[in-house]
Amino acid sequence: MNAAAEELDPVGLSDAAPESLWTKGLYKFRRDRVGMWSFAVVLLYVGIALGVWLGFWATGWADLAGGKWEPVSGAHWFGTNIIGQDIFDRAIYSTKTSFEVGLVVAVLATALGAILGAIAGFFSGSWLDELILWLMGVLDSIPFLLFVAAIAYTLQSIPEISKYSMHIAMIVTFWITAGRLVRGEVIKLKEMEYVDAAHALGVPEYTIIFRHILPNTAHILLVQATITFVAAIKSEVILSFLGLGVKDSMSWGLMISESSQEVLAGFFNNFLAASVLLFGLVMAFNLFSDALQDALDPRTVAD
Amino acid sequence: MSSPLLQVEELRKYFPIRGGLLRGVKAQVKAVDGVSLVLQPGQTYGLVGESGCGKSTLGRSIIRLYEPTAGKVMLDGADITHLSRNEMLPYRERMQMIFQDPYASLSPRRTVSQTLREPLDIHNKGDRDTRDKRVRELLDVVGMSQRALNRYPHEFSGGQRQRIGIARALALNPRLIIADEPVSALDVSVQSQVLNLVADLQREHGIAFLFIAHDLAVIQHVSDRIGVMYLGKIVEATDSQTLYAHPKHPYTRALLSAIPLPEPGRKRSRIVLGGDVPSPANPPGGCPFHPRCPDAMDRCRTEIPAPRELGTPAAPHEVSCHLYD
Amino acid sequence: MAEPLLRVRDLAIEFDTQYGTVRAVDGVSFDIYPEETVGLVGESGCGKTVTGLSLLGLIPKPPGRIAAGSIEFGGRDLATASEEELRTIRGSEISMIFQEPMTALNPVFTIGNQMADVLARHKGLTDSQARTEAIEMLGRVGIPSPARRVDEYPHQLSGGQRQRVMIAMALSCNPKLLIADEPTTALDVTTQAQVLEQINKLQEEFRMAVILITHDLGVVAETCQRALVMYCGKVAEQAPIEELFAQPRHPYTAGLLSSIPRIREDRPEHLPIIAGRVPDLLHLPAGCRFAARCERALDRCQTEQPELGEKTASAACFNPVPV
Repeated sequence: MNAAAEELDPVGLSDAAPESLWTKGLYKFRRDRVGMWSFAVVLLYVGIALGVWLGFWATGWADLAGGKWEPVSGAHWFGTNIIGQDIFDRAIYSTKTSFEVGLVVAVLATALGAILGAIAGFFSGSWLDELILWLMGVLDSIPFLLFVAAIAYTLQSIPEISKYSMHIAMIVTFWITAGRLVRGEVIKLKEMEYVDAAHALGVPEYTIIFRHILPNTAHILLVQATITFVAAIKSEVILSFLGLGVKDSMSWGLMISESSQEVLAGFFNNFLAASVLLFGLVMAFNLFSDALQDALDPRTVAD
Repeated sequence: MSSPLLQVEELRKYFPIRGGLLRGVKAQVKAVDGVSLVLQPGQTYGLVGESGCGKSTLGRSIIRLYEPTAGKVMLDGADITHLSRNEMLPYRERMQMIFQDPYASLSPRRTVSQTLREPLDIHNKGDRDTRDKRVRELLDVVGMSQRALNRYPHEFSGGQRQRIGIARALALNPRLIIADEPVSALDVSVQSQVLNLVADLQREHGIAFLFIAHDLAVIQHVSDRIGVMYLGKIVEATDSQTLYAHPKHPYTRALLSAIPLPEPGRKRSRIVLGGDVPSPANPPGGCPFHPRCPDAMDRCRTEIPAPRELGTPAAPHEVSCHLYD
Repeated sequence: MAEPLLRVRDLAIEFDTQYGTVRAVDGVSFDIYPEETVGLVGESGCGKTVTGLSLLGLIPKPPGRIAAGSIEFGGRDLATASEEELRTIRGSEISMIFQEPMTALNPVFTIGNQMADVLARHKGLTDSQARTEAIEMLGRVGIPSPARRVDEYPHQLSGGQRQRVMIAMALSCNPKLLIADEPTTALDVTTQAQVLEQINKLQEEFRMAVILITHDLGVVAETCQRALVMYCGKVAEQAPIEELFAQPRHPYTAGLLSSIPRIREDRPEHLPIIAGRVPDLLHLPAGCRFAARCERALDRCQTEQPELGEKTASAACFNPVPV
């Protein structure tokens, strides 16, 4: 190697360690107080959900552990419900359900949106774009609850899939937002000169989409995934409340559904436990998502 | 004379303006409207003109970032105008491009080494080690330290990024580089560094350049031949010395006299043109320059002037102006 | 000579960044006299634009602030003036035009609306008076058929015309000082010639001082009487134009001048260059900021910062280029 050029370094590079846009984003995020606190709360929920999943706690959520409507006590931290099940265990167990639904829906819906949105954006104006846009328009125009009911009804003959009809309905609906965002961004990005450079080098079109363009929408996708996550757990609660959602398991929605009669009788434990935990998670995740958006915005990161 | 490296014949690129209910074509923007030029190996052809004159579109049509509407582009005698993506691949090795905006021409989430390796990967050049070696060599050629390898574009200054863009264009050892305003986004002191680099590359590797710029001084510094573009047409083309010493076309003369010179006190008779460049979607009839031309005659308003040879076969000088009919 | 219109002393402007505080302008002093045109020249990041913005109190706060120094104008210190005071000065006594006229004009209002707004605010004119005045101003800056143009939207005008509209708005209240920040950089060379000519003409007509901020030494040579060359937040050299171009004293000015490609008969193979690059504002050297790139640097330059003299022609350099 040319030692002289190395030594002279005529262009003069700074001595700092190489730093990707992610590293810079992380640095910014770490200085965001609200972001860090909300992230800590989210992590707490993740820990709870993981513990449930690994069988550390809340294993007895379905057991009849006491009498009807027992008050708050050392044995039953949140009391018991109408048939004597421990409300604390049920509320904790529901965290796992929420994360399950949220993660599956957020990851798959965002990925689907990213792929279809990128293809539509890259080939904007072509029949492929028209087709994807048409699909978005059609799916968007079906009322959400009707759609879930329709999918549940269609899939009921196949039990292995029918328990996921809620997930499927949400993915099929929620990818559209991500898809539209990505399509718009890709239409902008494909005019960038680095995309021209790739064309000029003869890089195949799909490699250009997935190697040069899509990675530059990563910040949008990540933020969109967190928003979808929140939307999914909220929808899950509503659907479960309506009886269209979780079956053979426990969720905050089912707890609230159960509590509708209890509240009339003046017993609020079930309702409060589920709503407060839901509120905490949704709030923390929303704040986290905002902070993430600020930290990853390339307009401010690149400075 | 050796056989030309690049030959462009009557190249046209029209962009349709769509509108109305059925998105029918309402009008055409004639961005490039019948341009011919010849570039010899190892030479530089400078293309100069104001924004909207079609010089960038011409460059992009030659390298097939745009599909030409009509005309012919020949590289090494082979017609590449209508080749498919795959058929085009071997020609892309011989013809590369450098871009204007150093902040937009590098993929922000890819490191320098990823960016420089890509051409080698796409064109299957050598094994892993050879490619690594080539990437290091390229950094050396453009005068950058090896420490740049694992860095991201945003960690570099404009001039450094432009060097990386040049290294990417050099990766496949091209014989022709289309340089689209490569220094216009750079500061003066950095601009001269990059211009020197381009001159060195040309001398050492025998690369031919199609150099597109709006800055006449830069164009004169780098070019052997120069074409002056106005509204999609080359209105005057000759060698660099003649163009500046004896400009013929009124537009060239106005352009030359409009450059602010860093020499206070030297008073020149300046030709200040009235008005602005008309829109290429709706160009004036006759000679496209006639509404702004200080020497316009009646026939300029109706008749499009044909290119006319005013020079000698050894020193051609082509002008499209009725003044010389 | 007359009293200076504007007197800037030891101006320092700081910005907070994620890596620490950066001094974008550090100890800049200069005077602007009535009716003169002064160039503020330098490459990107040298602090010329920030200096211009600070004169109008337009530094974005936070992250920026005027850390030290004074800006005397008409008996007031603009560096410490309240936002309210600055607002009355802006547009009426000091005006500014920017590089990109498209982003400076609001796309949903007509040219006339936007001009009338300025006139109504500063001169208290009625709608019809303001309209008449707007048409007159458009005519004075060389917009053809101003009575028709006044009802058009910014996107209907060309770049050169938009810049003329900006100039018309800036001049509508007869300012004493016009700050023009790269007013022709976004324009084509033939349009640039038109606009520069117009600015020169208007400067005489309105008897105002102009600070022309630019990176283009050619533009400075053709329009200014005096220039300040900035480098890395400091003034490297100031001199009347003829002296500056004929006998640059600061090695940076000399380097800058020689590295411009010029149209000439003999074509040098290589342009003279200034090696290296501008130091990072976060890691400034202890001595002269240009020392690392300077061919004339002495030992002293590595440790001590040279000061700009008080004279009208002076260079902040320990070893200036001999005359």
